[in-house]
Amino acid sequence: MGGRIVGGPSRRGFLKGIGAAAVAAGGGSVLAACGGSDSGGGDAGGSGELSGSVTVWSWKNPAAELKALIPAFNAVHPKVKVTVQDIGNPAIWDKITIAMAAGGQGLADVLHIGVDYLPGYIEKFPGGLADLGALGANKYADAFAPGLWQTVSRQSKVYALPWEANASGFFYRSDLFQKAGVDAASLATWDDVIAAGKKVKEATGTALLAVDRSASQADSANLFQLLLQLQGTFYFNIDGKITINSPEAVRALTLIKEMNDAGLLLDVQGSPGAPGYDAAVKAGKVAVCPNPAWYGGYMESLAADQSGSWRLMLPPAVTPGGSRSAIVNSTHLAVAGSSKNQRAAFAFAEFALTRPESQVPIYKNKGIFPALLKAYDDPAFHTESAYFGGQKYAEVLLEELSRPSVPTNYTADYARALKVIDDAQTKVLLQGADPATVLRAAADQLVQQTLRAQA
Amino acid sequence: MTTAAPARAGAGSHPGPAAAPARRRSGRGGGARLAPYLFVLPALALFAAFRLYPVVWSFVLSLYRTEGTTQTWTGLGNYERLLNDPLFWKALGNTALILVVQVPVMLALSLGLAVALNSALLRWKPLFRLGFFLPVVTGLVTYGLMMGALLNQDSGAVNWLLQLVGLPEVHWLNDPFWARVSIMLALTWHYTGYNAVIYLARLQSIPAEHHEAAAVDGAGPLRRFWHVTLPGLRPALLLTVVLSTIGTLQLFDEPFIMTGGGPDNATTTIGVYLYQTGFRYFDFGYASAIGYALVLIISLFGLVQVKLAKEED
Repeated sequence: MGGRIVGGPSRRGFLKGIGAAAVAAGGGSVLAACGGSDSGGGDAGGSGELSGSVTVWSWKNPAAELKALIPAFNAVHPKVKVTVQDIGNPAIWDKITIAMAAGGQGLADVLHIGVDYLPGYIEKFPGGLADLGALGANKYADAFAPGLWQTVSRQSKVYALPWEANASGFFYRSDLFQKAGVDAASLATWDDVIAAGKKVKEATGTALLAVDRSASQADSANLFQLLLQLQGTFYFNIDGKITINSPEAVRALTLIKEMNDAGLLLDVQGSPGAPGYDAAVKAGKVAVCPNPAWYGGYMESLAADQSGSWRLMLPPAVTPGGSRSAIVNSTHLAVAGSSKNQRAAFAFAEFALTRPESQVPIYKNKGIFPALLKAYDDPAFHTESAYFGGQKYAEVLLEELSRPSVPTNYTADYARALKVIDDAQTKVLLQGADPATVLRAAADQLVQQTLRAQA
Repeated sequence: MTTAAPARAGAGSHPGPAAAPARRRSGRGGGARLAPYLFVLPALALFAAFRLYPVVWSFVLSLYRTEGTTQTWTGLGNYERLLNDPLFWKALGNTALILVVQVPVMLALSLGLAVALNSALLRWKPLFRLGFFLPVVTGLVTYGLMMGALLNQDSGAVNWLLQLVGLPEVHWLNDPFWARVSIMLALTWHYTGYNAVIYLARLQSIPAEHHEAAAVDGAGPLRRFWHVTLPGLRPALLLTVVLSTIGTLQLFDEPFIMTGGGPDNATTTIGVYLYQTGFRYFDFGYASAIGYALVLIISLFGLVQVKLAKEED
């Protein structure tokens, strides 16, 4: 999921031939001393003007925005030659994996990595990502939305700088709600949402949500995951123990089953950003999109004719009085451990991610929501959105991001956990299986596969 | 599926023919003695680098537990894990189901097709032969994508046609039962013509006199098929059974592209499971063990089939 975040719909479903495998950090000038273990501010290792070449891997929208930053970056560092490559998402994950497994052969210097992949690269490929603390990253520890610094750092090492923070949005069709006599402000819990969904279905015939019942894509458990995060839990706890069999997980899957049994779910192929899901939104077949923040900006162009119908609010809690905020995913820029030009690579990541002058235009152009707190003061985040019926829609997300959030431990085994969860959800949605039973079996299988203990 | 096997056989037999003509010239001089080896060398080097090395190294890998770049010796631990892995058994079961259901149906269709194409009554033969053989020329990924598009629940042509004639739409790719049916349909479309051409070639080598003699003795068309055509086809039958078995056991492309192994692992084959383990979860040690389990299964099947065929002779 994290991968797809920004403008997520990157031609997945197609085995896209990956472009030039190029990337030679070569270009001489092996300035990067790196390795200095003392962290702290200032430019660590070596000194003098930065030079050499830096290659950046990203995808689609963010890649385009990074490319646009190069002239401004070169005004500060004229001797660094930056090349941004749009590897495509999800192709980028395989490409990074393979290059890391080959000890960094052919890997770019700067890597755009989603929260779902970052822990895997950190844990499975020690040394694969450079310690940015040694390059001066620690001075930014408080610069980003709460919870994100824990996501990018481990045991005093910093592996990436946060870029994009996606709070969960609860986008809803106010016109359909109105027709059904539902007051969105009264929806405090997901039980309320189900009750409202029934009314909407009865009055308008529109489904509440779209779900990929058969899990035709890996990220088909987004709703389940959100319901876990709203309860302050996830697939693993902070010690890396398996928690997919917890009472919270059973509650989450039971809620989804209730929606399914009540006929409130529309079956689509793919998740938000994929053609199947997006087509349903575009055709006005769903009343609610409980999707990450990026989907708001994305919807504006996807379903332009529904302008004025959509509103955004905080996701309802799972239990009465429970949390109504969750950072459902984030993306980051990391520097490859194999990079011969780590100082220049970090300088570029720093330039892109720690300056409001870089982040605000990116938000304006592509709706990519920054983790950088300083950027939030910009008027761009406080204007009324015509698409959202005059609502100051970004402020809802800012409020969510400023709340304390529970750091989510994806671990290196996230892909495996997601798979057993997808399968468990499919059993419930297609065959009416019992949530507690399938989650118990899923947890057992995950234990067998990962040798992790159950919490 | 079957295409993998002939391709592999071709690569393996390369050094043989290359060495044979060289031998005739040997013994004329000191330098000439080296020549054959030099000629063989490129093929051998390529074989060693791209076949032998992965084969040997993956076996070594299968004895280690992989965590990213770190390997921990585990002996037969991965194989033990296999025996207790429900997903591996499910993948094996899915593969076996295709083997037991799809392969016989496809081969029977091929046989009927071959006999029809061989019939003296049929006109425009080259056209029909080409038509039935063409699917196998299509790349696996291409036809997988194509089938996926045709069978798509919402936008596929097949459901559109079904609804046109008043039938309900079918969840071809997102229902466990229909997903299996879809994979089998795709495989049958792709490989029936290929097998039919093998039978056809063999049919044409059965002397017409045998049929005539049987007819004179009073055998009807069915008896002639049973006592003349089938025995004559036996070598071709064995070949296609062996190729289809190996191809099915290695099945990967179609389920990977059309269903991703889903829903709920209904179409996860051993090949798909191996890929997921290695390249989704980075567990190369376990993936290698799955690979070697597959090798073992294929070898057993091959031995049994060849032995059965010999006993009948």
